[in-house]
Amino acid sequence: MLLNLKNISKWVHSGGQKVFLLKDINFWVNEGDFISIMGPSGSGKSTLLNVIGMLDDFNEGEYTFLDESVHTLKEKHRANLYKQYVGFVFQAYHLIDELTVKENLEMPLLYKKHSASERKSLVGDMLDRFNIVGKKDLFPAQLSGGQQQLVGVARALIASPKLILADEPTGNLNSKQGEEIMEIFTQLNKEGVTIIQVTHSEKNMAYGSRVINLLDGSIV
Amino acid sequence: MIKNYIKIAWRNLLKNKVNTAINIFGLSIGISTCMVILIFVRYESSFDHYHEKAENTYRVVQHNQLPDQTLYWNTTAYPLASALRNDFPEIDMVTQTAGPVSREFSIEDEERDLIRFEESHVLFADPFFLKTFDIEWIAGDFNTALSDINSIILTEELANKYFPEHNENYQSIMGKTIALQSKDPLKVTGVIKSAPGNSNQRYNILIPYEFFKINNPYFSGNWSGNYQGTTYVVLQNEELRKPLEAKIASWKKKYLKPEDDKRISYFLQPLTEIHNETLYGSSPGGYILPSKVLFTASIVALFILVIAIVNFINLLTAQSISRSKEVGIRKVLGSKRRDLIRQFIFENSIIIIGTLCISVAIVSALLHQLNTNLSIIDLKLQFAWSHIGLILLIGCFTILLAAIYPAIVLSAYRPIQALKNRIQLRGTGNFNLRRSLIVFQFVIVQLFVIAAIVVALQMNYFKNESMGFSSNAVVMTPTPEFSKLEVFRNVLLENNNISKVSFGSGPPMAVHGFQLGTSFRRPEQTVEESLDAEMKIGDVNYLDFYDLELLAGRNFTSNKETFDEFIVNETLLKSYNWTPEEAIGKKIQINEGQATIVGVVKDYHNNSFQYEITPCIILNWEYYQNQAFIKIGNQNYESLAMIKEVWEDTFTSSIYRYDFLDDAIEKEYVLERLVFNGFTIFSILAICIGCLGLFGLMSFITSRKTKEIGIRKVMGASILQILSFFTKEFMRLVALAFIIAVPVVYYLMNLWLEGFTYRIDISIWMLLSGGLITFIISVITCSFQSIKAALANPIHALREE
Repeated sequence: MLLNLKNISKWVHSGGQKVFLLKDINFWVNEGDFISIMGPSGSGKSTLLNVIGMLDDFNEGEYTFLDESVHTLKEKHRANLYKQYVGFVFQAYHLIDELTVKENLEMPLLYKKHSASERKSLVGDMLDRFNIVGKKDLFPAQLSGGQQQLVGVARALIASPKLILADEPTGNLNSKQGEEIMEIFTQLNKEGVTIIQVTHSEKNMAYGSRVINLLDGSIV
Repeated sequence: MIKNYIKIAWRNLLKNKVNTAINIFGLSIGISTCMVILIFVRYESSFDHYHEKAENTYRVVQHNQLPDQTLYWNTTAYPLASALRNDFPEIDMVTQTAGPVSREFSIEDEERDLIRFEESHVLFADPFFLKTFDIEWIAGDFNTALSDINSIILTEELANKYFPEHNENYQSIMGKTIALQSKDPLKVTGVIKSAPGNSNQRYNILIPYEFFKINNPYFSGNWSGNYQGTTYVVLQNEELRKPLEAKIASWKKKYLKPEDDKRISYFLQPLTEIHNETLYGSSPGGYILPSKVLFTASIVALFILVIAIVNFINLLTAQSISRSKEVGIRKVLGSKRRDLIRQFIFENSIIIIGTLCISVAIVSALLHQLNTNLSIIDLKLQFAWSHIGLILLIGCFTILLAAIYPAIVLSAYRPIQALKNRIQLRGTGNFNLRRSLIVFQFVIVQLFVIAAIVVALQMNYFKNESMGFSSNAVVMTPTPEFSKLEVFRNVLLENNNISKVSFGSGPPMAVHGFQLGTSFRRPEQTVEESLDAEMKIGDVNYLDFYDLELLAGRNFTSNKETFDEFIVNETLLKSYNWTPEEAIGKKIQINEGQATIVGVVKDYHNNSFQYEITPCIILNWEYYQNQAFIKIGNQNYESLAMIKEVWEDTFTSSIYRYDFLDDAIEKEYVLERLVFNGFTIFSILAICIGCLGLFGLMSFITSRKTKEIGIRKVMGASILQILSFFTKEFMRLVALAFIIAVPVVYYLMNLWLEGFTYRIDISIWMLLSGGLITFIISVITCSFQSIKAALANPIHALREE
């Protein structure tokens, strides 16, 4: 089992009342799963993804990631944990505008203290794998949305994570670009990478092996 | 990793060219201004510190107790030095100088033609002078250079001027002859480097003191007057000072007349304090700068630096916030907070180091400018390594504040919020800080602007307020020979361009620091009851020439070898409560003799506006009529050339010099002009720096609120409404700053104005106009950015998300 969420709840106070963002969430993920989180706007999909990615706190419950109980870990350890095992893909790509494709890919490696030659070969591999060698010296603004998301996925993969968290990865893309990205996810999944995606689209959901439906913060 | 940082830093700088330029420009102006002021202050407070014996050298000063006041003199009677030397073995060294004075020198060139030079910094000094003060010798021996009575020591510059053919071999000049006033031959016994700029002894020629004594036997033996002898003593240590002062107090009666002994007391003033102490006035030939002024200047310097740094932090933080997305990405991708802090510090430090380099360049350019433009006080400011060190220190301080603070703020963002651009919602506390920084600097801006206005008006007052006499188009020139005055006058008056000519000891207002002093009493009073007065000698045309108004009595009828008539001013009458009519016919005794008051003139400013009008006595004396006053119709070169020609034909053996009275009067306000220029420059700088800050902040806010502007426009807001939406907030801050600044500036400027006996009153409109200027400038500054934002198409703004 890769991760396990037990009775996770998250809330905010609004006008003296608890408003639940997540309510009593229970589910687990095995290595090699491809999970789609579905639900209407405001149902807590992104919040759940952020909790899984350890970018966000929760108020109640237990979260175990590779046998480490995340809820008891200190911020620093938590960061180390996700740094090592988790890759993120965003709807708005979130590439750094001032860096070229190559440099954007290289950045996660810098934070993991890889040597220069290692970084070079890893970046080279990724550029090859995603067929973007020709684009390596361009800045994000010079790429189409699909290409930017390609770089985003490549960047998420470069440190060979066990888990990829994708928040509406195709939300800003047209259907053809979207399909390409989903094909890549399927391919990665076959290679053993666990994927959790948040999506609106039934079509994307179909790529996954399991679906979690959220409504008002609860699994339905 | 470092490479990555540099890349990001560089690309960011280029992306925000305007902001970066503003940032660097603002901070480098701040640093360099601060540096220049500090270098100036340091220079001005280091006067005479460089002498090896500086710590133990004292100047003998004299307090002169009169019935109504005490006069503080920095010069003493000439015989004092040798008396001290003979009677006090515990004093290591006593030295005395006379001058600096102006003298004429001549040398014969190869064709035996006489070449004349006028030198204005001739100092008569005894041989001990060379041992008391550090002098750098190029040729000659300091033990013997002044032993022979007919010797002369030149500075390097003068040696080059007189003997240009020496080819750097200064030894070859030794023994050459220079004639003083065309008669006394003096032999060159030394060539020295000129004293550094920060010395109170200003001279370029040294002549033995003995020479002066022999030529002025009356002065050099007289104990009771105030002659320009400056006496210095060197003591073994600081503890000896007080006991010595006490001893001198009981010793002086040995030499002073009983009435002088009561009146005169001597004190020792440390050499190093001379330049910053106002009590004793400027040293002969030098100037003083009160420590109060230096202190204020340092505060101003620090203020400017603080404003610049505050702005820098402000802008940098603002810019950094727009990089919250990058922070978010980096955090998600595994950057630790430490990495981010390091990155931002690194980046900001690059900017700061660049700024420091620019500052160094600006400082050296500014110093050069100051040295050439402030020739009145003969500045020799130098850019030393220690200053670069100081700049580095300021830099480190700035890095500490300006690099670390934004780095810490920024790195603390939670990645999710950073990515979602939610930072500005949380940034309200930040914004309050920024608001108070803006208020703070606009308080300072308004302080400067209002101060500059007040100083300008006071300067204007000096210029336009009636002095009580006419000073327009008056040429002054020395007249060396009394016997030729009438001839000189008659020849001049033949010219149509010259309407009036008069002779006297000086113009109505004391200029060039020159005024004849005396004391006066009624014949029946004792010497102790004497009061201090100014003595002026004028010919029969003097009153008419300067339009001095007679309130009672009449003008002189002629000048006499022994004066017998006085014309006095109203202020003098107040000492005895006489009306002008009562005063006529009264006899008055002054130091130089007794005479009858024949006329009373309406008060005119016989001192510059800083000082009160003092009692003044005009004598019908033939002596001291050593200046001619010539009224010319138009200030063109022809009349000046004509005067020169007539002068040279009349007084054949001297060098012609002239001065306009208006210029000479203007020079009395050199310090005030300096203050005015200072405030003008600083208010412009403060406005610049303040506006840069405002501009930067506006550009930040508009870029953050692009979306909001877009929404507002779509909802139907007009451009004007959007403008006022942005500007209103800032205007409120500027207004608040004005309210804070007004009482402070009112208090400070009143304090400054109190230094002038004749002054303007600070009125509401001066304060208001200062506020208005700042207000208008800041509205314009704000508008730049907000107009751009308001005109932008809302669709673009909204599509960005």
